[in-house]
Amino acid sequence: MLTSAHMMALTPVILVCATAVTVMLGIAWRRQHAATALVSILGLNLALVSLYLVYSAGDVSTPLLVFDRLSMLGMVLVLASTLACLTMSHAYLEGYPGRKEEFYLLMLCAAAGGMVLVASQHLATLFFGLELLSMPLYGMLAYTYRDKRSLESGIKYLVLSAAATAFLLFGMALLYSQSGRLDIAGLLAGLESSGGGAWALAGAGLMLVGLGFKLSIVPFHLWTPDVYQGGPGPAATFLATASKAAVFIVLLRIVMVAPAFHVEWLHTVLGGLALLTMIVGNLLALIQTNLKRLLGYSSIAHFGYLLVALVVADGLAVETAGIYLITYLMTTLGAFGVVTLLSSPYSGEDASALHHYRGLFWRRPYLAAVLTVCLLSLAGIPFTAGFIGKFYIVALGVEAGRWWLVGGIIAGSVIGLYYYLRVMVTLYLVEPGMRGRDAPDNWGMKAGGVVVLGLALLVIAFGVYPTPVIDWMSVLTSPVH
Amino acid sequence: MGVSMSYLPLTFLLPLLGTFILALSRGHMSERGSVWVGVSSVGLAALVTAFITIQFMSGDQSAQTLTLWTWISVGNFTPTIGLALDGLSITMLGIITGVGFLIHLFAAWYMRGEEGITRFFAYMNLFVFSMVLLVLGDNLMLLFLGWEGVGICSYLLIGYYYRDSANGAAAFKAFLITRIGDVFLAIGLFLIFAELGTLNIAAILEQAPAHWATGDSLVRWAALMFLGGALGKSAQLPLHTWLADAMAGPTPVSALIHAATMVTAGVYLIARMHGIFDLAPDVLHLVGVIGAATLLMAGFAALAQTDIKRILAYSTMSQIGYMFLALGVGAYDSAIFHLMTHAFFKALLFLSAGAVIVSCHHEQDMRKLGGLWRRLPLAYMGFIVGGAALSALPLVTAGFYSKDDILWQSLAADQKGLLLAGLVGALLTSLYTVRLIIGTFHGEMKSDHARNAEPGRGLQHGLPLILLAVLSTFIGAMIHPPLSGVLPASPGESTEAGHTALELIAAGTAIAGIALAAWLFLRKREALARLVSGGPGASLWTLWNQAWGFDLLFDRLLVRPFRILVFILRRDIIDALFGLVASITKGLNAGLTRTQTGRVRTYATSMVLGATVVLIFLAFGQ
Repeated sequence: MLTSAHMMALTPVILVCATAVTVMLGIAWRRQHAATALVSILGLNLALVSLYLVYSAGDVSTPLLVFDRLSMLGMVLVLASTLACLTMSHAYLEGYPGRKEEFYLLMLCAAAGGMVLVASQHLATLFFGLELLSMPLYGMLAYTYRDKRSLESGIKYLVLSAAATAFLLFGMALLYSQSGRLDIAGLLAGLESSGGGAWALAGAGLMLVGLGFKLSIVPFHLWTPDVYQGGPGPAATFLATASKAAVFIVLLRIVMVAPAFHVEWLHTVLGGLALLTMIVGNLLALIQTNLKRLLGYSSIAHFGYLLVALVVADGLAVETAGIYLITYLMTTLGAFGVVTLLSSPYSGEDASALHHYRGLFWRRPYLAAVLTVCLLSLAGIPFTAGFIGKFYIVALGVEAGRWWLVGGIIAGSVIGLYYYLRVMVTLYLVEPGMRGRDAPDNWGMKAGGVVVLGLALLVIAFGVYPTPVIDWMSVLTSPVH
Repeated sequence: MGVSMSYLPLTFLLPLLGTFILALSRGHMSERGSVWVGVSSVGLAALVTAFITIQFMSGDQSAQTLTLWTWISVGNFTPTIGLALDGLSITMLGIITGVGFLIHLFAAWYMRGEEGITRFFAYMNLFVFSMVLLVLGDNLMLLFLGWEGVGICSYLLIGYYYRDSANGAAAFKAFLITRIGDVFLAIGLFLIFAELGTLNIAAILEQAPAHWATGDSLVRWAALMFLGGALGKSAQLPLHTWLADAMAGPTPVSALIHAATMVTAGVYLIARMHGIFDLAPDVLHLVGVIGAATLLMAGFAALAQTDIKRILAYSTMSQIGYMFLALGVGAYDSAIFHLMTHAFFKALLFLSAGAVIVSCHHEQDMRKLGGLWRRLPLAYMGFIVGGAALSALPLVTAGFYSKDDILWQSLAADQKGLLLAGLVGALLTSLYTVRLIIGTFHGEMKSDHARNAEPGRGLQHGLPLILLAVLSTFIGAMIHPPLSGVLPASPGESTEAGHTALELIAAGTAIAGIALAAWLFLRKREALARLVSGGPGASLWTLWNQAWGFDLLFDRLLVRPFRILVFILRRDIIDALFGLVASITKGLNAGLTRTQTGRVRTYATSMVLGATVVLIFLAFGQ
């Protein structure tokens, strides 16, 4: 039965859906870019506020969805990332000759999907959330369809994502066949009583493949750079942040509530994938000359580091994963934000080749500083957010005694430093005579500019004064078991 | 806990805010605006310091700490961002913000019309921020952060006039040589953390005596490493060669960084870590010996310089040598007292030199100055008062009280050798000080620059000079740093035997030196000139002028062999090994890049293959 408490708990999701409907009706009535963006941003902010109210009301659990602290964390991350992406979309789409407003609609739907995904405790809602998150993304990636690369990126993601979904569904089917349940807790309990077995393990493995695709875990990562490069800036940003965060949270939930899966071999496989991911991701970025591709490889590597938390999966793992996820999100949003702003307003292919960024400091010192801070944070330099996250991951690996993973993180970070520094050097080189794409002069006055500046400040503030976030994480994640 | 602690962070946050405002203006700020922001941020910090000092002095003067937050907390590694306020740090804080403010104010006059004045004040404010952090940090990590921060600001400001590549080279030299010391300091930090498991200064001082017996080899290593760090920063033998070249920066920089504050950080470090040094008496003795050697070496070198700023630079080395000497005999509070008076009178001397330099159109060679006393009365007054304090003229100057204290402590500690070095140094100090003043202000004017000297005007020029001059007299010596309880008792506190006699000897030395110098440089000028123009006198002049040839020595002993070694080893096996790492990485990159075909069918195949491998692994795991 749907009670009023359930309705209360559902408010944030309902608000986002209602915003989507409002935007849709608004488009049907009269097309207005600025108003659409404003309504979307307002709706997301309302959802964030209501999330706070729901959070203070306490945990609510329904058969399909659970509103505990982990899902609250997931929703906050999804909503905040979506907000940042939306703000940048406004700057980006300003010059787009086609219809602009549907982009917001798609992004709002995807955000709703992400929120359902992080709160799901049933395979049906998991699947539903994941697809609701992915479907709009095909449209977003191919949104600037007159550009061949954008179209290619959308189609590639569509085909490969469908294949991954097939793996996921097959895995779910196998698990269902072994336990006869679809709700995650009951399913796992069923497996435990029947002793698991090879089919259940195979089901878990196949689900891992399906979710690993979304997180671009090696060897399911090959789509990442192509899709990031081709898609419009805000869509790629959403894919790298909100989408990945939501999928990771649900994976974290499954691993944390699944004693049946505490099979050493599953952890070894996960560890092997983590090691492979961090090394391969960093190696691929080494001499990359396209910034969007480079950030794509970098995000592959970062999820390799994050997987360490899943491999260890005890003690501080949830707290560490939360801290790392937050640092990753703010840094990646900042870095992609600069790329998006420089490609704004839309006029053909995005400014992503590294030579577009040569001498950026001399014409756009603030944007160059923001990008520098974000790259330093991605490299994990002290007094940036990235260092705090990486420090926690390394400490987790050390305490669990997973030395080969710690070795992988260190090797990956060393390789990473090389290519992050390479980009940074480019920013400060002498400006070439010709100018490529550039942000409009008044970028700092626009919402998108304010967002990237704020993100850079946050990255530094969190690097120097991480206490609030760490405290928040330890409170937020304490009752999950 | 008084109310004062909550205001304490303002002392470094205000200068940091100044840096941010100046840096973010992207050079579009007017000169007036830059000066306002740059000077007022430090001025406000000085006001806050004064407020805190008054509260501190009226209270029970006990040490207080303010833990702002724990940076990260993993295992037993919990570095806190915490501040500690005690007599020692409040003394340093007063010098940094008080003298620092006066120097900033003077810089507003000195730098007017210069290109990049915003950049200048941004660096200066950043320096004040780092230096305050260095002295307020309650743990060695924060101290190290400030330590590195002042190093980078020193580098930036020495190379301020970067269009001349010689200035860039001087900045490199300063940065690299102090870096050698920094490496030692870092090793010392690691050693302390490995042994005691904490970097909190109070905890270290408390645990060290229980953890180590006196003379334990590890505590000696720790003390040696700290000493190495202090030598680099404070320009003591053998890591001293950078300071004279550092005079390439604007003169207010020399006054603030290379006289009053940063170069005395080594003295602060040793005084702060006194518990470690007390457990290693032979290292502490080494501190004194190095100080004595440096003060003599630099004293002789100062005698044979012609650039007024280089004379002051060697004089600074020599005076810091006195502070090290005091530390070496265990008279920590005498060292800090001399640090304070030295900050007053050396800042005065540097600022007066700055006044001369600007008035004479950036001419700073003594051979081209002369006879300026009538034209530049205020600068002349500064030199007279500062010079008197530097050569420790009895009773009326601040320098007398602090230097006399150091000599007395070395006598009380029964270190006759060090005492003798101190007395000889006092004679040398008088000699080069009088030579500097006579050469600059008396005799005939030796160039058009001197003849056309324009005296400085205005509050920004006059006020710092007058205030610092007042502080350089006995009035400055009446400020007693509240060090009791922070630092261990000095050897001279138990006895008074021979104090008066020593005082008379020291006073006599100073006056005799001044008289001798006046006679030599006023009456026997030609004889002196003949003496240094040929024969052994000329060789000695060259030797001292090159400061005993340390640069040449290091060049022959270290730089050249290193370059030869590098030349020989440019294709050695080790290099190939490192090259191999790079080529393997590149090869892997090339191999992996081939998987990025852009074809969906390849990507799907890789997914299927990956899934198969995962399944096989899981099947085997069963």
